[in-house]
Amino acid sequence: MTRRDRAVRAARRGAVVTGIALVGLAAVYVRALMFTPIERTQGPAQKIFYVHAPVAWAALLAFTVCGLLSLLYLIMRERKFDLMAAASAEVGTALAVVMLTTGPLWGKPIWGTWWTWDARLTSTLFTFLLFVGYLVLRGALSDFDVRARFSAVLGVMALVLVPFIHVTVYWFRTLHPDPVVLKPEGPSLPSVMLVTLLTSIGVCTVLYIGLVMQRYSLAVLQDIREEEEAGGGIP
Amino acid sequence: MEYPDNGAYMVAAYVVAAVIILTYAISLYLRVRRETKE
Repeated sequence: MTRRDRAVRAARRGAVVTGIALVGLAAVYVRALMFTPIERTQGPAQKIFYVHAPVAWAALLAFTVCGLLSLLYLIMRERKFDLMAAASAEVGTALAVVMLTTGPLWGKPIWGTWWTWDARLTSTLFTFLLFVGYLVLRGALSDFDVRARFSAVLGVMALVLVPFIHVTVYWFRTLHPDPVVLKPEGPSLPSVMLVTLLTSIGVCTVLYIGLVMQRYSLAVLQDIREEEEAGGGIP
Repeated sequence: MEYPDNGAYMVAAYVVAAVIILTYAISLYLRVRRETKE
């Protein structure tokens, strides 16, 4: 089986995984909107939590994976690590768009403002813009080695920001609520809400995996085509 | 029980999330399909 055949097969599997995740997301919508109780003080807007937090988790997971793969590329110089890191970065950026649009839609009715320049929101926006820059940089450079090396350095730098985003709610005064699941004393949600949240986190993780499988396969296919056009050919 | 009247924000957030995720998933699927046909 050639490299191209393997990429096509992986892309098909990725499409199936993505499809399963989208069906799961529809199920999460139904559970969150119809079978999860309305929180007393925040009202219906609190249900944005079941989309916003899991998508934020998947976006930060994507950025972490990108950073770790970038580090691996800088150490081992293998093409696949660069292509995987780029795939994770693009999917993470798309998910971060969801995070940065649903967040203000939750903030407006609860905080009274769409946006505030506190540590959590600002660091999240900064990380998102860093990955937009990462993708723009990759689009601007045609030489594979230069593109991979420069973007890997940017990916590793962004990796440092991910744990910082998590701890901002502890280190700084912020409007953003503290974590309700990832905290030392354990989750502080009623079980019915926790099940909805954890189901949504699981679905968003599967969605991330499916999208990255497709995006990585696409990157491999583009890589093969570029090599063929350059007249090199890959063994 | 009385709740704050902010359901429109919830609906907007769920619609926006679905539109962005579906748009990206479909565009990625089409990009892969175009690349495999070339």
